[in-house]
Amino acid sequence: MVPVSAVGARGGSAPPRSNDPRPRLAQTLFGVEFQSPVLLASGTCGYGREYDGLIPLDRIGGLVTKAVSVEPRTGNPPHRIAETPAGMINAIGLHNVGLDRFISEKLPWLRDNLERARVFVNVVGRTVEDYAEVVSRLDVEEGFLGYEINVSCPNVKGGTMFGTDEAALAELVGRLRTCTERPIVVKLTPNVPDIGVFARLCEEEGADGLSAINTFPGMLIDVDRRRPVIGNVSGGVSGPAILPMGVYLTWRASRASSLPIMGIGGIRSARDALQYILAGASLVQVGTALFVDPSSAEAVHEGLEAHLERHAISSLTEMVGALELPAPPPPDAGTSG
Amino acid sequence: MTAASPLRHRASVLSNRRVAQDTWWLELDSPGIAAASRPGQFVMIGYGIENTAAPFLPRPFSVGWRAADGRVGILLRAFGPGTTRMARLRPGEDVLLLGPLGRPFELGRDRPIVCVAGGVGLAPFLFLADEARTAGRDVRLLYGERTGGRVFDPELLASLAGGPAEVWTEDGAVGQRGLVLEGIDWSADRVLLGCGPSLMLRALAESAAERGVALQVSVEEHMGCGVGTCQGCVVPRADGGWAKACTDGPVFEASELAWSP
Repeated sequence: MVPVSAVGARGGSAPPRSNDPRPRLAQTLFGVEFQSPVLLASGTCGYGREYDGLIPLDRIGGLVTKAVSVEPRTGNPPHRIAETPAGMINAIGLHNVGLDRFISEKLPWLRDNLERARVFVNVVGRTVEDYAEVVSRLDVEEGFLGYEINVSCPNVKGGTMFGTDEAALAELVGRLRTCTERPIVVKLTPNVPDIGVFARLCEEEGADGLSAINTFPGMLIDVDRRRPVIGNVSGGVSGPAILPMGVYLTWRASRASSLPIMGIGGIRSARDALQYILAGASLVQVGTALFVDPSSAEAVHEGLEAHLERHAISSLTEMVGALELPAPPPPDAGTSG
Repeated sequence: MTAASPLRHRASVLSNRRVAQDTWWLELDSPGIAAASRPGQFVMIGYGIENTAAPFLPRPFSVGWRAADGRVGILLRAFGPGTTRMARLRPGEDVLLLGPLGRPFELGRDRPIVCVAGGVGLAPFLFLADEARTAGRDVRLLYGERTGGRVFDPELLASLAGGPAEVWTEDGAVGQRGLVLEGIDWSADRVLLGCGPSLMLRALAESAAERGVALQVSVEEHMGCGVGTCQGCVVPRADGGWAKACTDGPVFEASELAWSP
């Protein structure tokens, strides 16, 4: 299959330097300008409108919507969330309004109210054709830039997750490439032996970007009741607890592929975001931190601006992947122990 | 959905006093939230983004009371590590507040109001009774606790709620012995409201349904965002599916919800 090339450049480019009033945080990615590298993560900002009045969405880079599936999904029984050390566990169950209501009720608000914030629609399905239907039917609509593909869900056909099965993921990304010329960003699961393999595979199949990473599978037990705390038994762990894993996996993915990366996992400050950026992320997503403080995304944006100014760095793009290793990395840098 | 956007700001702790076993009355300085709140609404209280120790996520609390000088009262019981830490808050410390949030109680006009509170389910009714009594409404406040030691300081309660509560305890140490539901006069015409543990609410909802009596309840569930984005705090709807405790509630008509175990 020949990948259809997406709009614009794959990698980021800095705005011209001379007499350019644009701020240091602006980057051109996926063919458009992002005024800020800070986006809101899928599942933590609803469909945008829920945070209207609390988060000035048009002052940050954008947002990724709650997952959209062909049919509405009612989600999992409670408890759906619980606190964990320095984080939380969730098993919402991709509760969403479905494609029809997303198009009629949610997308118009995004289209009519956001001018500068870039919107990715997070897409989920049980089969390749589910995903393809969401992408194909959304593609004629306005009000969003591209797709973030959630592959951390079971493939009805094979029983494994799309994101942990190389063949299933390749088939999915290749199929979606034929459905759209908009940017396709694949949200990688950390739950694989080598994320680089999956990053490279997405690039080969024509994806335009990667989000690294989705939540880690986890479980919390109420020892008094001898029962799982989460209604779904297990869930995904997010928050500051997973920051070092997210940074590491972003670094691994960036070494394996040339696609732009949205770094995600435990970001709550500019310094957290910079770790991801130095590891190779062009954009970052703030998620769980929004629950702690809705103003945290804007604070990350402002903190990044201040950092660049303080260090006289003219553009954020100079920081992307600019990690300096003390020596050639040891051959086992990719493993634990 | 609330009409106005909620407020987010750091608020100073003005006082925090122990009012019963494991139970504290916290007063915060928040003129904006004090002015905007209606009985039944809640606030998220957290330690802010620098903090990673429990409570990492903010916790929802009913607005327990408010004063014209900007004080907001919060009833807090130490259940786990997060609330135990909050119980140690001292004057001068501050917390991150988001609110007011959620759907308040609907009080209608004129009819007497009966509030049925279990444990810290007392919180919204201190505020409600104070406001409604000031407006000339007849309010009965039925308040149950498992043990006498957990009964909220009666003097403070009366001063906050504009009058006393009728107290029921399971051990009979304070007030009448038994369950608070025994105090309800089902023949009276009134606005009936409930807040408390889920087992108590279920028994109350089933009793009300059997008698065809309208009942509003305020429910509790683990909460993430408090504003409707995360879909974490769902409760089962009577017609199938889920309702969000944060923005569809926390106050529901009991008939809107499914009560079977």
